[in-house]
Amino acid sequence: MFAEVLFIAFAALSVLGAMGLILFRHPMKGAMSLIVTMISLAGLYALLSAKLIFVLQLIVYAGAIMSLILFIIMFLNIQDNDLPVEEGRFLYLAGGIAVIIPIASFLIKIVNGLPDSQVTIVGNGFGGVKEVGLILFQDWLLPFEIVSLLLLVALIGAVVLAGKRRLVK
Amino acid sequence: MIHDYLILSVILFCLGILGVITRRNVFTVFMSIELMLNAANLAFIVFSRVHESMDGHVLAMMVMAVAAAEAALALAVVILLHKHKGKLDTNVFSLLKG
Repeated sequence: MFAEVLFIAFAALSVLGAMGLILFRHPMKGAMSLIVTMISLAGLYALLSAKLIFVLQLIVYAGAIMSLILFIIMFLNIQDNDLPVEEGRFLYLAGGIAVIIPIASFLIKIVNGLPDSQVTIVGNGFGGVKEVGLILFQDWLLPFEIVSLLLLVALIGAVVLAGKRRLVK
Repeated sequence: MIHDYLILSVILFCLGILGVITRRNVFTVFMSIELMLNAANLAFIVFSRVHESMDGHVLAMMVMAVAAAEAALALAVVILLHKHKGKLDTNVFSLLKG
């Protein structure tokens, strides 16, 4: 099946990108591999026939947020000797894996307890802009307004934080 | 089908936790948080596809908005701390310690 092959390819790419994020020492390389993860997740959303979220993932996550992070990393001009010394990084990583594996096996056990539904065929309009927009502006109107308030708070906070003049010593 | 997607989501979430607890670079920690948000988004979309209702899509959009707000604020704080200390180490940023 074509969809299974695509799923395996996108899943492998996203896991590889995530591993690159936590293994690369320089944050620029980590951000590049996180972009790989974001784009392959967008492909997975397209496989799940979530058209609007697919587009939003590409534009908002892989486009806006990641370019903001890359811009800040380039703006700070991080050299190799600016990076924190992480000598015992692989030791910490081994310890972290030892902590994570019980949690992960617990979560996977929960997932396996769920009923595995067959692949159903959804209608042509599933996940389109119009359908999601109708739900967003009817059932989810109050959370939508609260999110707009949150974005306003973030805007004001970012201006207050980053626009502050440095005190003269 | 649903199990594969959910297990992928669990794996991505655990990799994000690993990045947060093992790395000391503040950018890597921040991007690991973004990775965890993405894993949660994937779970939302999968359940929305299984139940054939689009509420999960709306929730994923909310998570994206929260991630954008978080990115703006966190990067502003990182710029301030870098100006203040000149370092990117999370161990250095213990300003609130009493």
